[in-house]
Amino acid sequence: MKIEKLLHKLQAFFNTDRHKKRQHIEELRKILLKLKKKERKITLALHQIDDDDLSKHYQTELEVIRIQRKKGIEVLQQLKERKKT
Amino acid sequence: MHKVLLLIVIPLLSYGFWLSDAFKGIAAGVSIFLFGMLSLEQGFKAFTGGVLERILQKTTDTAWKSFGFGFVSAALMQSSGLVSVITISFLSAGLLDLVAGIGIIFGSNLGTTTGAWLIAGLGLKVNIATYAMPLLVFGVLCVFQSGKQLKGIGYILTGLGFLLLGIHYMKESFEAFENTINLAEYAMPGIKGLLVYTAVGIIATIIMQSSHATMLLTITAVSVHQITYDNALALVIGANIGTTVTAIIASFGANIQGKRLAGSHLFINLFTGIFVLLFIKQFGIAVDVISANLGIAVSDNAMKLATFHSLFNLAGIILFFPFINRQVMLLERIFIEKRPAIFKPKYLDSSAMDFPETVVESVRLESIHLYENAIHIILRTFGLRKPDLQKNDLLKQLIEQHNHPIEYDIDAGYEKRIKGIYSAIIAFISQANFTWEMTQSSKLSWLREANKHTVEAIKDTKHLQKNWTRFRTSNNQATINEYNKIAYQIVLHIKQIENFRREIESNELPLLSLDALKATIRNDDMQMNRAIETLIREQKITPETGSSLINDSSYMRSIKKNLLKAAETLFLHGDTGTPGAEQQLTLNDTEINDVVQTVDTQ
Repeated sequence: MKIEKLLHKLQAFFNTDRHKKRQHIEELRKILLKLKKKERKITLALHQIDDDDLSKHYQTELEVIRIQRKKGIEVLQQLKERKKT
Repeated sequence: MHKVLLLIVIPLLSYGFWLSDAFKGIAAGVSIFLFGMLSLEQGFKAFTGGVLERILQKTTDTAWKSFGFGFVSAALMQSSGLVSVITISFLSAGLLDLVAGIGIIFGSNLGTTTGAWLIAGLGLKVNIATYAMPLLVFGVLCVFQSGKQLKGIGYILTGLGFLLLGIHYMKESFEAFENTINLAEYAMPGIKGLLVYTAVGIIATIIMQSSHATMLLTITAVSVHQITYDNALALVIGANIGTTVTAIIASFGANIQGKRLAGSHLFINLFTGIFVLLFIKQFGIAVDVISANLGIAVSDNAMKLATFHSLFNLAGIILFFPFINRQVMLLERIFIEKRPAIFKPKYLDSSAMDFPETVVESVRLESIHLYENAIHIILRTFGLRKPDLQKNDLLKQLIEQHNHPIEYDIDAGYEKRIKGIYSAIIAFISQANFTWEMTQSSKLSWLREANKHTVEAIKDTKHLQKNWTRFRTSNNQATINEYNKIAYQIVLHIKQIENFRREIESNELPLLSLDALKATIRNDDMQMNRAIETLIREQKITPETGSSLINDSSYMRSIKKNLLKAAETLFLHGDTGTPGAEQQLTLNDTEINDVVQTVDTQ
């Protein structure tokens, strides 16, 4: 019984890094999903407004989100590749 | 009220001019004299803003020195009113204390009597118009020079020239008047005469805003026997009481110290007046004795009047100068400073000092309190209040329609809403900072920086307000549009920060939203500068307006950056769920610049 418990603990210890990687990937996925939702929301708002200043702000926000998502996808791919290896 | 008075005075004067040429000459003399005083005032103003302040600081550190300063400056400027107005302005600016201010008033009361001596001794005996001419010529020559100080000297010389010319005109006209009407017929003997002529002296001085002008009229009239000597004495008393009105009017725009000084001026001159009225016979005897000792002829009423004027003010000094400190105490009781309800710190409690994390949280909450107050001030500057931020579609319209004639007093707002809290935070942090380990110390240091940014944003708003107030009533629509745009973009930025706060609460990627806010600041700045350049090129605005707009758009950028930096520290304090992953997606400076470029080409 004691040996079984010890083995479990050892397994958990060796899996920590993998677990962390998985958690990180999950977090990134959630963020990317939130960014996508935000992007849709802003695109919708952009079509409804008639204010040049506000429209420029929305465009800037959309461009920022686009680059952030691009960065996110790249990081995600790198993590997945590292996970495979 | 003033307009009604003007409507009455103009026909009356016109009728008087039609009736008598001599009256026309006297009125013209008074007008030239008053114009001379205005010119003199203008000249001395050229020397304020450095020299005068330095002299003031060195010469008013004791009551006697203040007295000397008041005497010399009133003797030079020939206007106790002007000296008291300047003193009130220095007192309001905190350059003087009330004791020094009252000392100056005493000195200026005596200093102004030199004018009476000049009028009586020189003005009536010598043809002073001959001195006026070169003064006017040299004065006008200097006025046309470009240097500020030379211009000031020009105005002083011109002022003196006009003063002398005014005296000359009055003297000539009174002599002519003598042959037509005898004012001496209206002489009133006894107490009734004293009281009536004192009242006349007060009213005349209030109307002409110059005891000098009243003195001049009185001395000239008495020299040609148009009024009796006794009535002339009463007129002098009245002039000395009436002259305090200039200071009283000036004190309306001054702070409580200025009001106290004006009160003191009235108190000194009024009670000296009452005292002299009570002992008028004894004063008459004293004047005769002094005049005899000075070698003044018994029949020379003009010189005797000048002696009386000096004696009057000396009496005031002897009676009240030793009690300056008591006067100050009395004035402080009468004029109680109404302090505005100053916002006090809500979260700072010294009992929390033993708990580092609690202290950090208290300071953070207090700093948010400070930030909220700063936002209130900035929004009020543009005619808005915080609930207006919810009116999405109307926001622009509200700014454009803001046409309140009185601008928001940012200084008062700062005193009321910021200073107390900010000082309390600084004191609290400095008490705590030394005792703790690094983590809390650095957090407090960040919060201190955040508060600095908040305060900087208010200062920038104050700089911006000057032109925002000036140009939003401009005739040039393009200028108005640009200034409204500046205001709108600041308000929009505040609104975006509010959204950012909500995103933190609902954990909607606030860290990533910061990038959009940073990019927006750069984008707005670029667009604004480009728009200004286009407007100048297309000659829709002048290059001068353009340079003001460029400066003000820098203030806009600075306000936004400061608010964002403050908000970043205050609201984004490590409560977000996934900062590690989120942090990886934030944009660096180059990426933000790329965003701005891309949006610009869209």
